[in-house]
Amino acid sequence: MTLIKKPVAAIAGLLAGALFLGACAPAVESDPGTEKADLSKLKDEFYKASDPGKSPAAATQRKDSFVTTISKPGGVFLPGFYDNGWDGNAVQPIFASLVVFNDAGEPVPDLAEKWEVSSDNLTYTFHLRKDLTFSDGSPLTAEDVAFTLTLLNDPAYAGGVDFSDIVIAGTKEFRKGSASSLSGITVVDPSTIRIVTQKPNPLALRTLGGPVISKAYYGKGYVKGKLDYLKSLYGKPLGAGPYALEQYVEGQEIRYRANDHYYSGKPSIARLIFKVVSSDSALQNFQNGDIDHGGFGSDPANLKELQGLGFADIRARVISDYGAIWVNNKKPALADTKVRQALYYGLDRQQIVDAKFKGLGQVADVFAAPTQWSYTNDGVTSYGFDAKKAGQLLDEAGWKAQAGGTREKDGKKLTLSYITTKQDDPVIPIAKKDYKDLGIDFVPEVLDSNTAFDRLNNGDYDLAGFRSNGLSDPNDAVSEFGTTDPAINVTGYANPEVTALIKKGISTFDRAARQKIYTELYQKLSQDPPIILLDYRKSLSAWNARIQNGELYTTGSDDAALALAKLKIAG
Amino acid sequence: MTRYVLKRLGLMALLLVGVSVLVFFLFALMPGDYFSSNRQLTPQRKAELRALNGLDQPVLVRYFIWLGNMLRGEFGYSLVYNRPVTELLGPLIGNSFLIAFAGFLLTWAIALVCGVLSATRQYSWFDRLVTAGLFASLSVPSFFIGLLAIKVFAVDLRWLPTGGMLDTASSSDGFAQVLEIARHMVLPVGILTFLGAGALTRYFRSGMLEALHADFIRTARAKGLRERTVVFSHALRNALLPAITLLAFELPALFSGAIITEQIFNWPGVGRIQLESVQTRDYAVLMTVTMLLAFLTILGSFLADVLYAVADPRVRLLGSRRAA
Repeated sequence: MTLIKKPVAAIAGLLAGALFLGACAPAVESDPGTEKADLSKLKDEFYKASDPGKSPAAATQRKDSFVTTISKPGGVFLPGFYDNGWDGNAVQPIFASLVVFNDAGEPVPDLAEKWEVSSDNLTYTFHLRKDLTFSDGSPLTAEDVAFTLTLLNDPAYAGGVDFSDIVIAGTKEFRKGSASSLSGITVVDPSTIRIVTQKPNPLALRTLGGPVISKAYYGKGYVKGKLDYLKSLYGKPLGAGPYALEQYVEGQEIRYRANDHYYSGKPSIARLIFKVVSSDSALQNFQNGDIDHGGFGSDPANLKELQGLGFADIRARVISDYGAIWVNNKKPALADTKVRQALYYGLDRQQIVDAKFKGLGQVADVFAAPTQWSYTNDGVTSYGFDAKKAGQLLDEAGWKAQAGGTREKDGKKLTLSYITTKQDDPVIPIAKKDYKDLGIDFVPEVLDSNTAFDRLNNGDYDLAGFRSNGLSDPNDAVSEFGTTDPAINVTGYANPEVTALIKKGISTFDRAARQKIYTELYQKLSQDPPIILLDYRKSLSAWNARIQNGELYTTGSDDAALALAKLKIAG
Repeated sequence: MTRYVLKRLGLMALLLVGVSVLVFFLFALMPGDYFSSNRQLTPQRKAELRALNGLDQPVLVRYFIWLGNMLRGEFGYSLVYNRPVTELLGPLIGNSFLIAFAGFLLTWAIALVCGVLSATRQYSWFDRLVTAGLFASLSVPSFFIGLLAIKVFAVDLRWLPTGGMLDTASSSDGFAQVLEIARHMVLPVGILTFLGAGALTRYFRSGMLEALHADFIRTARAKGLRERTVVFSHALRNALLPAITLLAFELPALFSGAIITEQIFNWPGVGRIQLESVQTRDYAVLMTVTMLLAFLTILGSFLADVLYAVADPRVRLLGSRRAA
């Protein structure tokens, strides 16, 4: 799947960093600033509305609709073909998938009742629910699933769904040869489909089990190698999700109506609206009732303000990603583990996290998000701020302080450039000071993200500040460190033990076995750190208390459609 | 005059080609392309996508393909929005034009009246008031005053909508829709006017003051003309002449919109896309918007020159003497 942007960028990790991991009591999470806790125990926080009666009239009068927000939809409402992450959010209510994944990365049945994966992890068999239909009443069968997968592997397909790490059998013959279909896809019966892949990959379930489109509707006029005809259907989606598109008012809002044919019954709220709202004015829109639900910036002041409204149910959600400083392990100075450890110890990460998330973030130490099932800090080294230790490590690595305080080795000064895309990146002033104290010349460069990624991909950097993508499977966070492909492993990190563990991590689908492997991997990665982990974060969203089950729904989360179907309006 | 216009037109075409070369190659020189920052694509897939979108071709080839398409009226395909650029930009340009034009009319009307009045009554309480407003307008950042206006008029007083162009789930049409859009225009246009009027008022005021102190005004007064005629017929005409240039340069601004104002009020205009396309390296959109603005700027300066020549005979005479 392409990257689905989470419109909520708010952070409210209400826990200060616990640098003495594991040694502290469970957190009292609603008291910001005073508690120090291990974020692995951190759960989403909820603040119930204190006075739902204060809901503004504009919202209360909307008896049949739920209005949430979206930032910049582009109007391509066909899964796999949009390229704008916001369109990814916009198609979620319309298209149902075979399988979706919850926040913990666990698969949840959607259109598929159940599925089996063969013991060699190559063959997937999906069993669809009985009597499925699209929103126009036409039947949804295994043929539609087969068509969807065929389309996504068409030689002319230019979208973001990527099968190159999965490879359905027969792809080569289909793409380059004369085969008119993928030999790896077998429609066993109308409700059963079997897919044979060529590379074992725990993530394949997600890609294979993605949104299903109608063969009767989208397949009309399909000829291999020619997909241009689909463009005329981008704006007229047909799916089996809880809602169907009613109207897209460009730049304003996307309107949906409840799907009468939805498999678990027509959703209780008749209309759904994604309103285009900029993050600057989301709070004001929420306050005067224009929207029922939204994400609210990274400012803890917003939490206070939302609480003050009385009618807001608020959720501070742990986001499954991490912020880090990528380190170019290929640079001679940085190839030395001791230097990377020194950079870790020598940087006051807590200060960075506090500056970034205004005291509401958390220092990261594990190559996983705290929401993930594989997360554990068991035996993981936590690099607390310790300039003395950092200095020692640099001495041991041969970088000796000279008269002026700068460190040199073989007559070369220790100079490190730092690429960032944010003008106000707090790493700049803090690292500049901390590293200068250590005798390192720290040279920040602020670039736009395409330039920055280009430099990163070309290995033309020393240090670079970035966030990871949203992490679903534990492999997401570590896979890049296990390959020698420079386009993926942009840090150039190489550690045979780590590589072996990463490979092992995706060789089995058994969770208990994987947990053991990842625990060991996290320890190894902390002893020989490829990059400098910085932070985990929380994000703030709120909904009008008149919307029941609002806590289930997060814009853009993989199971958003399931949650939408469960919303109700109180009263 | 015809020769003068034709010469200017030829120059315009040349300038546009120059701009297109410069802009295209500058953008091509920027490291990275649309697919660079997508870390979820495998390198193999990235290469495939680059090839499918022609990004693997040499810059020179890409330039001529682009130029050829442009001349045929094809502005390419937006990678971000997955749609033809014309289809994408068309309605947005219209929307931007709507608020920019309304703001433009108000700005000029207010600036003209305030500028002239405060100049003729220099040091009066009205002049002081205008001067104070002028400084406020010049010193307040648009995002601040925009958010303040939303807070006061939309959230606290609930007189006006917080943003957008239509009400949530609006199904109005005809005149009701016109009213609805007008209501949504009040805040953004108000802010645009407030921010724009300051600089222009200052310009008119000082132009007018200068004209009022000129010798020919004294002569006019000495001839016993009425003060009204002196101010509006003699002084104002001369003070307004330089404004032709300003007016012409408003042209690109009418279409490029006010990026920040559109952002704050969720106005579906072209300003946002313009900024976004640079960040995402959406070349087709980027080039189309840039070329459009370049074209309008050049057209604006062309119109200014022609109007100037019409309004001020000295320019025309000087021009033809040089041409001869």
